[in-house]
Amino acid sequence: MRRLPLILRLLLAAVFLYAAYTKLRQPWLLFAMSIDAYQLLPEWAVLALGRTIPWLELALGILLATGIGLRYAATGASVLLAAFFAIMLQAYIKGMGIDCGCFGLGEKISPFTLARDGALLTMSITLAIVTFRARDRRVPVQAIIA
Amino acid sequence: MEHGVAHRSRAPYILRDMSKPLAVLILLLAALSAQTAPVKARGFANAPIVLEVYSDYECPHCKALYEKTLVPLIANYVDKGKVYLIHREFPIPALHPHAVEAACYACAANRVGKYEQACEILFRDQASWAATGKVGDTVCSILTPADAKKVRALAKDPSIVAEVQQDVQAGRLARIESTPTVFLTYRQKQYPIPGAVSYDILRRFIDHFLSN
Repeated sequence: MRRLPLILRLLLAAVFLYAAYTKLRQPWLLFAMSIDAYQLLPEWAVLALGRTIPWLELALGILLATGIGLRYAATGASVLLAAFFAIMLQAYIKGMGIDCGCFGLGEKISPFTLARDGALLTMSITLAIVTFRARDRRVPVQAIIA
Repeated sequence: MEHGVAHRSRAPYILRDMSKPLAVLILLLAALSAQTAPVKARGFANAPIVLEVYSDYECPHCKALYEKTLVPLIANYVDKGKVYLIHREFPIPALHPHAVEAACYACAANRVGKYEQACEILFRDQASWAATGKVGDTVCSILTPADAKKVRALAKDPSIVAEVQQDVQAGRLARIESTPTVFLTYRQKQYPIPGAVSYDILRRFIDHFLSN
């Protein structure tokens, strides 16, 4: 159990870094189109998120991998994954049949993608809780990272 | 629909150099490629960007893509020679019982040079014919009696059914799971585009390539 935070943060870091890589190696407007396909946001917001989310994922991946600011990185990852899960779920319920946009294009929203995002969300929330509890007990975060 | 417009548009430029043997060879190759070229294409084949759209006439998302994205795209990019638009049939009979018939009628209308009109009416009156199953009546309502007679006969022709199947097969090879699916090709590189893309975002993406 003592190794749980380490395993969780490394798994989440790998996922965020891979997600960022798949988006950043393509023209950013392709990811903006994936966001636009959800038909939830105005054009300016779609363009802003299309440009920033891949870099945010990269930053979260680096923070999770290095353990720097872990509490905040885990909380940020939870917020991001919760938002992804909510919009994917509503699109799936509406039967929109669109790409999830999680790791580039070509992956439709399905029970599998929802289960995967749900599992990642559970992992990041668990990590956030564990790291915050460690702070409350005045245990240095570096102690649980090592 | 401008069937074969790509080859016609190339001709005047080439004809200016007809004295050159190379030009004759190019014309011969163009004539040969016309037989294998996509039949439901609009625009200029030498446009810098190629957009390939797989759709199902009974699919509401395909209707939205056609009416909200493709119609302005045709006016502002396809007809101006910036984008070459290729329509492909991808009916999903498991979800849409009249989709195959609609695809056959669209291909049949294409044979009499009325694809664009057929496509427009099929999407516009989708709710109506999808409920009644009167696909033929819908398409024929925009045709002259002579064309309507031809199209009704052609829609049942095995070559038309084969044409639809050929598109479906191409879609399966491209690992298409749902409609609409769009592929954009620029400088030999293909980008899958989300089917529900809005015109404004797609326009920006196209402009990004054109500005290069």
